Amino acid sequence: MTSVPPAVRLQIKDYKSGLKPIWCPGCGDFGVLQALYRALAAVGRPPHEIAFVSGIGCSSRIPGYTTAYGFNSVHGRALPIAQGIKVARPELLVLAAGGDGDGFSIGGGHLPHAIRRNPDITYVVMDNQIYGLTKGQLSPTSPRGLQTVTSEYGSLEEAVNPLLYVLAYGCNFVAQGTPADLPGLAALIEEAIRFPGFSFVNVQSPCVTYGEDDQQIKAQKAKMKSLQSLGHDPSDRIRAMDLAQHYGRELYTGVFYRKPDPPPTFEALVRERQQELAGKALPRERILDLFLQR
Amino acid sequence: MATFLGIDFADLTLKDALDLAVLIEEEAKDRYIDFAEQMLLHHTPEAALFFSFMSDKEEKHRAELVARRAQLFGDEPARITPAMLFEVEAPDYDEVRVFMSAREALQVAFRAEKKAYAFFSETLLRLRDPGVRALFAELRDEEVHHQKLVLAQLEKTPPESILKAAHVADGPAAQ
Repeated sequence: MTSVPPAVRLQIKDYKSGLKPIWCPGCGDFGVLQALYRALAAVGRPPHEIAFVSGIGCSSRIPGYTTAYGFNSVHGRALPIAQGIKVARPELLVLAAGGDGDGFSIGGGHLPHAIRRNPDITYVVMDNQIYGLTKGQLSPTSPRGLQTVTSEYGSLEEAVNPLLYVLAYGCNFVAQGTPADLPGLAALIEEAIRFPGFSFVNVQSPCVTYGEDDQQIKAQKAKMKSLQSLGHDPSDRIRAMDLAQHYGRELYTGVFYRKPDPPPTFEALVRERQQELAGKALPRERILDLFLQR
Repeated sequence: MATFLGIDFADLTLKDALDLAVLIEEEAKDRYIDFAEQMLLHHTPEAALFFSFMSDKEEKHRAELVARRAQLFGDEPARITPAMLFEVEAPDYDEVRVFMSAREALQVAFRAEKKAYAFFSETLLRLRDPGVRALFAELRDEEVHHQKLVLAQLEKTPPESILKAAHVADGPAAQ
């Protein structure tokens, strides 16, 4: 893994692109972006060594506001693309980002497989419980009873609990943050990036235009509780799942779960397998023979 | 709320204090620039103009502090970095709204100046170096002066209409 020598330490401004965010003034994603700049500066990988993949939505515009190699891809498909990049170029720092609809609805089928493969990718989801870009439709994490343009009489559906299900899928690093605690969020994203394996950070990043008043930053500041203040031991997966059940009612911030002895990453296993098989590899012209014989 | 990482105020030297003061002004300047750009993009020109004025004011104060630091300490490397402070004088990101009035923008600045005043006042009690104490007292008093300027401007600004533009606003602007 390459890194910038100490004499050329990168600053926050080195990760900031010239593109101006089009998010609504007051959007939580501004705070997430600031936290991301700080986390990347702390980690110190140069922008040309970072691949940042997103799906579709307001939050998925985030790669364009960084100087990393960004790929604003298709709805729900950040994770498969990020995994492909990581296997092909394991030396790159690979990030994935998107919203709750992108990640847990259309992209929901990719998440368990990304988790069980365990590539060294950090996935940041900006969870605002709504489809914001398309003007206020119900999303998988919208609470039951929420009135939106697609639930005129109030939603009849229970919300997905993203924390609980990534823990159940076996994710080895699960955290939640909010732009209401910018230093805490920056530290969480940094820790997630440094974690060797798939890491998931759910960010309660409110939609200022279509979100409810009790979800906005001021309300979050009043109700957030750090897991550390509750005495939570992040090596305890069962306790993490117990706390995760409060999603939607409590705003717990910090690391829910961090596996003490992370397993090998997917790309490391792939390289190991390639090395094992390299000695048995046939010359290219013999490969067709092998298939013809069968 | 202002947050600091890895700064021991009791042991702050004058060089550190000046570097910190420069970074505080720089953070505030950058935030006001962000706000001015957001307001322009979202068709809120009066607030954009005011935030632009605030960024110029912060830059002016920053430049004065940089000059003072250079005079006293030349190009000695700084120990204090931007990563060590969060939103000391810079207003929080959620303070702004699309179609906010000039009066509301002034109130954002007033709250930010009060926040900075609170930081300098409270931190004064923790400082040991007399030179640093004098600097922080000066910076605290500067914030009082800024608050008065903003209040004076608020008094000149027309009162809010009952009908707010946000009540009839469209959704987010596409890029």
